[in-house]
Amino acid sequence: MRPEDVLRAINEARGDALVVPTMTAVPAWRTIAPDAPSVACVGFMGGASSLGLGLALAQPDQRVVVLDGDGSLLMQLGSLATVAGAAPENYTHVLFANGVYQTSGSQGIPASGSVDFAGMAEAAGYAFTTRIDTLEELRIRLPELLSVRGPVLVELAVEEAELTPMTAPGGDPLRVQVERLRERLAGEE
Amino acid sequence: MPENERIPAPLIVEALKAAFRGQRTAPAKDGEPLGWVLSVPDTHQRSVIAELEGDDELRLLTCSTEDEANAIAAGLYIGGAEVALMIQHAGLYASVNTLRGVGLDGGVPLFALVGLLSREPELEPEDSPRSMVRFAGPLMDTFEVPHALLETRDDLGLIPEYYALSRERSGPAVVFVGRETA
Repeated sequence: MRPEDVLRAINEARGDALVVPTMTAVPAWRTIAPDAPSVACVGFMGGASSLGLGLALAQPDQRVVVLDGDGSLLMQLGSLATVAGAAPENYTHVLFANGVYQTSGSQGIPASGSVDFAGMAEAAGYAFTTRIDTLEELRIRLPELLSVRGPVLVELAVEEAELTPMTAPGGDPLRVQVERLRERLAGEE
Repeated sequence: MPENERIPAPLIVEALKAAFRGQRTAPAKDGEPLGWVLSVPDTHQRSVIAELEGDDELRLLTCSTEDEANAIAAGLYIGGAEVALMIQHAGLYASVNTLRGVGLDGGVPLFALVGLLSREPELEPEDSPRSMVRFAGPLMDTFEVPHALLETRDDLGLIPEYYALSRERSGPAVVFVGRETA
């Protein structure tokens, strides 16, 4: 699957979900969904799952979708247990598994090709986990993945992205994103 | 230090509640906690953690790492919740990049109670022979993070004061817990 196609499919299906992209998902998401209620995890690699968890706990009536990477998740793998322990029902963790640290030059992640992220999430205690290899299947299953009782982890077998935060820097500073989403959510209450 | 001079855990919990109430613009809705405490267990503050486990107004969440706690705090803040961290100095050292990214670049008001395990009561922290104790304050100075030392009941006002300070400056503020709580 091309990650850009995945992001377009998620954008079409997301409804009013809050979205936390990280690493290679960031530049493409910025273009595909410029008006989505999003805050990017940039500058603290591995933090997307936790940032999304905080949002999900504070906004239990809204779906939160984390657009994570396999290398990123490995940096904070314990977050699988923390998420499972907190058990947010409104949490969907989308894992883009391309097997490499693309942003830094596509070095392979540890045990690339053999790590079973969906299996680890299930073992940690996620309520629903699955692995999807085709865009067609993803499109069919997205409504379920964005509504079933979470926490959900869906591992996606993807190709490398067209852009990375290194090849396509830009976007609003994190401080601006934080305050914009906070104000937007406060305005909805 | 005599046992009766250690700060009882319920007083710290009440100080946290006062800090949260001081920032809330609306009362908690049904089922919504007054605020969250994100903990990576700390020996110095273990009695507070135990107290929080039975508290009806505050929600305690144990995190696997201090990095996580910082990022979860950011999400809770964006979502409109009140939140404090309770960690140990070793965890502060371990999570400085996330503290920098979330608290400094992201402008998230991270407030943390940080236990100074092994701090010698007769010494100022900066005079400790233990590097873990001695460098905690200077580390925060390097990051331009305001910090204070909580030692006795008379210092409890530091908790709402530094919590409010973190909000005012949109950044981190730290209260070091210099002695084990009772």
